[in-house]
Amino acid sequence: MSPARDLMVVLALLGASAGVPFLGGDYWIGVGITAFMWVALTQSWSLLSGLSGYVSLGHVVFYGLGAYVVVASWEVLPIAVSLALAAGAAAVFAFATGMPVLRVRGPYFVILTFGVAELVKFVVMAAEAAAGNASRLILGTPEIETLFFLMLALAAAATVLAWGVRVSRLGHGLRAIREDEEAAETLGVPVARYKLLAFVLSACIPGAVGGAMALRNTYFEPLQAFDPMISFSMIAMAVIGGSDDLRGPVVGAACFVFLSEMLWANAPQLYMIILGLLLVIFVLFVPEGLCGRLFRSRGA
Amino acid sequence: MSLLEVRQLSMRFGGVQALERVSFTVAEGKIIGLMGANGAGKTTLFSLIAGNERPSSGEILFENQSLAGLRPDQVCRRGVARTFQVVRPFAGLTVIENVTTAALFGMRRYRDRAQARDAAAAVLQELELGDRAEALAGSLTLSGQKRLEVARALATGARLVLLDEVMAGLTPMEVEAMLLTLRTLHRTRGLTLVVIEHVMRALMQLSDEILVLHSGRLIAQGEPPAVASDPEVLRLYFGEAA
Repeated sequence: MSPARDLMVVLALLGASAGVPFLGGDYWIGVGITAFMWVALTQSWSLLSGLSGYVSLGHVVFYGLGAYVVVASWEVLPIAVSLALAAGAAAVFAFATGMPVLRVRGPYFVILTFGVAELVKFVVMAAEAAAGNASRLILGTPEIETLFFLMLALAAAATVLAWGVRVSRLGHGLRAIREDEEAAETLGVPVARYKLLAFVLSACIPGAVGGAMALRNTYFEPLQAFDPMISFSMIAMAVIGGSDDLRGPVVGAACFVFLSEMLWANAPQLYMIILGLLLVIFVLFVPEGLCGRLFRSRGA
Repeated sequence: MSLLEVRQLSMRFGGVQALERVSFTVAEGKIIGLMGANGAGKTTLFSLIAGNERPSSGEILFENQSLAGLRPDQVCRRGVARTFQVVRPFAGLTVIENVTTAALFGMRRYRDRAQARDAAAAVLQELELGDRAEALAGSLTLSGQKRLEVARALATGARLVLLDEVMAGLTPMEVEAMLLTLRTLHRTRGLTLVVIEHVMRALMQLSDEILVLHSGRLIAQGEPPAVASDPEVLRLYFGEAA
């Protein structure tokens, strides 16, 4: 299937789910918010890691920073402005850290991104402790329906961005970098610039998503906002859905949200075990993910 | 006019002197053969010209402009392409995607992806890889992967192509076919080639001029028959008795 058709399919699915608030109650709206959040995060993660092969284990740092920005600017700035600021802060942070971090490859990059995210988490914790806040509560956040449509818009935006990158020169260059960085550079691909650009593009929407989730949770606590499980989940969804396929993140997020809704309340341990097992099985036997296996799409 | 000029080029890796004050020029439109035993510094020379490594000292001029300090992608955009001795295909991409990458990012820099793909398809025809365009590059035979290396280098639009043992490991028939292809490309595209090759007969047939490297030094230079009868070269290749 062509990338343009993939885009239409994903956008049609997202568009169809816009009907949820008119049909279901708050429970289904909540499920929708969670699902869109994962689509937006995983789509952004895949833009970098699926295309370039630079596996980020610290993408939660952008989410956490976004949440922090929104909470810190609560009742100071209009919500729209602080969400834009959340995306901007994540992008600026990606730009500043990307230059040194993207110099290392393979497992070193994976560990370094994880380390940077943990470092930022503890810095924010220390800053909050110094300011006398263990956690922050925010009151008067938007209605759940508003947040539903906000998150839907972010999922759609992440999808369109990921599509735009995939069909562009940037996407082609990133795939070449994934396959063999030195050969790519010798053929004229500006590897350092492209990696940095992909890193920044993959950071901004998670920043806004983090901000939106702070509004949804109505409080901010660094351990939760910078929880490494969020990074792990993005990777797991991308791997299971297929990381070099626009539909992969949607399929991955749908599987996970379904599983978590089925099991989380009654058997949370079982949920984690199944999640771990799925990841192992997919990495070993279906590394191209469900979409890669089912559709045999070769991408752009 | 000289397309490439190498002046007093030296390269040291730790305690090893890989290249020592090597100087030569390559005239436009010529085929230069580069000979030398393993470890003589041939591939190092390519890596320095292509920007994969930085020289310890010396200068490289392409079209009378220095390549000093340029990254490999910048050197490629100036019009120099190289192949790798150990082939480095983008194994998970198709053959045509491999070559399209070169067309998109090399010297020619197609803005339009469809145009780049058409250009790549044309190059694949020249290299007789047209029927393998949609195959994954990793699934090609060694001979196919060597051809893919050449195809990618050509698709950049380079004026100078550095070929690193593109005939090594091929059967005699494949070597003949590759020689024919290279001659055709040289003639039709007006390319300038620098060719590293261990298949001596092939190199002698193909080249306008031969350079011989030994332990990082340039020890002989000239037309193939002259180099083949050079006493220093004979001594190194066939021992004292010759």
